[in-house]
Amino acid sequence: MILQPDFFAAVLSGMLLNFEIAAEALLAGLVLAIPLTLGTVTKRTAIRRLTASVVLILRAAPTFVVMFFLFNLLPHRVSIGGIAMTMSPQIIVALSLLPYSSTYFSENGAEALRQWRAGSVLAASLFVPNTGRAYLVLVMSTGSGAAIGVTEGISIILHHAESLPTLSERLAVFATGILLFAIPLQTGFILLTKLRGMLTRIALSAAHTPQSVQSPDHA
Amino acid sequence: MTVWVVLVSMMLGVATSMAAPPFDPAARPEVALETLLARSRGSEDCAATTDRLRHILCSGVLKVGVRGDYPLFGMAAGTIRSGYEVDIAERIARQLGVTLSLVTVSPANRIALLAEDRIDLVMATMGHTTLRDAHARFIRPHYYASSTELVGPRAVQAADLSALAGRTVCVTVGNASNAELSRHGARLLLFDNPEQLIDRLNAGVCMLAAQDDSFFAKSFTDPRFSALYDRKFHFAPLPWGMAVANQGGEDLATALSLISQMMHRDGVFVDLARDHHIDAGFLMEQRAVWNRPTCDRADGFSNPDCVLRPHATDLAPTLFASRVSDFEHWLGTQAGIHPVLTMFKIAPAWDLIRWGLFNSIILIAATLASTLLFAVVFGLGLSTPFKPLLWSARAIMVLVQSTPIVLSLVIAATIANTVFSFSSTVALAAAAITLGLTNGSYAGQAISEAIVTLRSDYERLHSTVTAPKMFMEAMRRSLVQIVSFLINATKGTPAASFIGAPELLNALTDTTSFSSDRTTTYWLLLIFYTLAVLLVIQLCTILRRTLEREIARPGGDSP
Repeated sequence: MILQPDFFAAVLSGMLLNFEIAAEALLAGLVLAIPLTLGTVTKRTAIRRLTASVVLILRAAPTFVVMFFLFNLLPHRVSIGGIAMTMSPQIIVALSLLPYSSTYFSENGAEALRQWRAGSVLAASLFVPNTGRAYLVLVMSTGSGAAIGVTEGISIILHHAESLPTLSERLAVFATGILLFAIPLQTGFILLTKLRGMLTRIALSAAHTPQSVQSPDHA
Repeated sequence: MTVWVVLVSMMLGVATSMAAPPFDPAARPEVALETLLARSRGSEDCAATTDRLRHILCSGVLKVGVRGDYPLFGMAAGTIRSGYEVDIAERIARQLGVTLSLVTVSPANRIALLAEDRIDLVMATMGHTTLRDAHARFIRPHYYASSTELVGPRAVQAADLSALAGRTVCVTVGNASNAELSRHGARLLLFDNPEQLIDRLNAGVCMLAAQDDSFFAKSFTDPRFSALYDRKFHFAPLPWGMAVANQGGEDLATALSLISQMMHRDGVFVDLARDHHIDAGFLMEQRAVWNRPTCDRADGFSNPDCVLRPHATDLAPTLFASRVSDFEHWLGTQAGIHPVLTMFKIAPAWDLIRWGLFNSIILIAATLASTLLFAVVFGLGLSTPFKPLLWSARAIMVLVQSTPIVLSLVIAATIANTVFSFSSTVALAAAAITLGLTNGSYAGQAISEAIVTLRSDYERLHSTVTAPKMFMEAMRRSLVQIVSFLINATKGTPAASFIGAPELLNALTDTTSFSSDRTTTYWLLLIFYTLAVLLVIQLCTILRRTLEREIARPGGDSP
């Protein structure tokens, strides 16, 4: 029997961890994006340039390398503000995704701020589906945790496949794994595309009515 | 009266010193040891001595560095110590007539503590290699020998090193056999201590784990462990040595060698190993060796026919090793930074890094080319009016875009390793194709969307254009997205290490066989890849601006 009875339950529980790590990376990224966004939209040139340099370096740092860097160099236990934390591999994967999530949200946040300042609240609200899209990208990226021993979905699939002797059996396990990941991810992407389209349509139709062009200052 | 006592004592001291006969190579080891100890006891002033043996005899304490987490060999539970090495340390202290003080050491600090004079002797599951010979004085004969053992679930097949290509093997950082595993295409998952390997095997994180057979010996005494796992194969035999500091350690080393000779000859090592349920095969062989008349003499420990050679790690220095050392020293004194640049000082480590850098650059270039190629293929497929081709392209795109990149890489490697046998080239090619396929699918999607808008533009303007011209225009329109996915592909290249591609991340992981330092190693890795991505960003930006200027000039092709 290629797929053991507990395979689906194990992969699904592993996938939950993928979603959990992505949520941690998303929340931490949103928090870190606040100073980056403010630094991007500020009128002070020096701060703006400094923020741009930080964002450029963060964007250039490959997630996989950042993960290994943190995994090998962070102490097992750290204390932040008097709170002791254990640096589990799960937390390290979430932290390694921070450069991506924080720069993504800072860029989208800056754009949303510009739109909101220009009076287009609906255009600014596109930040919501963009956040959802980033979340799904983060879920896909959490699979890198398999390289440092996080027991997430990909790791369970690989572990199961490695125990099988033939190529066809392994490919069958991989195909099942792809399907299990594809269903929630593609559903999410489709829903987000629809939400984005809906918001764009509302924004466009609102742009044709006299009230919508008024910014809060004109009201 | 006091003056007389002092004078008599001094005369007795001189007499004792003079009475000690010179070291006779043909003497029995116990006679030579007695002579050596007598000479040391009678030599210079205790406070001024730089000789380690004299210092131990003066202080009456022997400080030995042992492991606290290595079952059967050195375990610490509170103040209680146990293990084969602990028992040997007790025997040695007794022979020297001093008190034993045990200090817990780890593979990362055991030689450093010796150099810092915080311990007199280290006996901590340490393999004797030619590299370590430069940092400490190893005692021969060796008190044990191990080999690296590969352990995994009984259902998993792995007959030899060639079976490890593309498979994950959990190892400890600093293990001398890591490079050997990596050379055969194994994905190494590094852990700090061997206990974690057992935990990760049981948790299902590690399918295979490699460690000294001495470490797994304890686990295999557990029936539950034996029922689940078995030994796949052994490789890289390695003699274990106790070691003392290079400076001032000559007499201490001689004394310990003589004691070790006698412990082998008299079967003490064999008995102690049996007491701790350790495989005594090597020790039985050694017992026979040290009972030979040619070996059982004072100079036996220096006779090449009696002792084992250290594990050769082929550690010729690089041509610029001294300049690297100078640089380390300069950084330390000028900036207070103390990087460990061993990888630049040892020729084999430097070779690994050079090849890692070269392969990384090749991988990045191949991935960029492959991304562009797949972008064109997907762009054409997704914009074709021929429905079967269109739907096939869409299906592949959805499949590729729904698969996490790590899984895609493993699938590609599994297929490639089945069709071809594992090699660096196969792993690099599989990684470049997979990364190109994934990122090219996104870029191709952008091109196809640009084609749709272009068609509508041309229809609106009642203009006609040839298909190749429209495709080129679509490529120009989607340049921003193409560039962003080229950058993304570059950022993905380190993930190729997961399938055994010998790029820089894997090369630097291999260098942990030569040095247990990881700080400098992973800083170098982060800096290299960040700079590589920044360079690709810069090149893509220049390319994009050039093409945009081309379009903007009078007579441009845009509708």
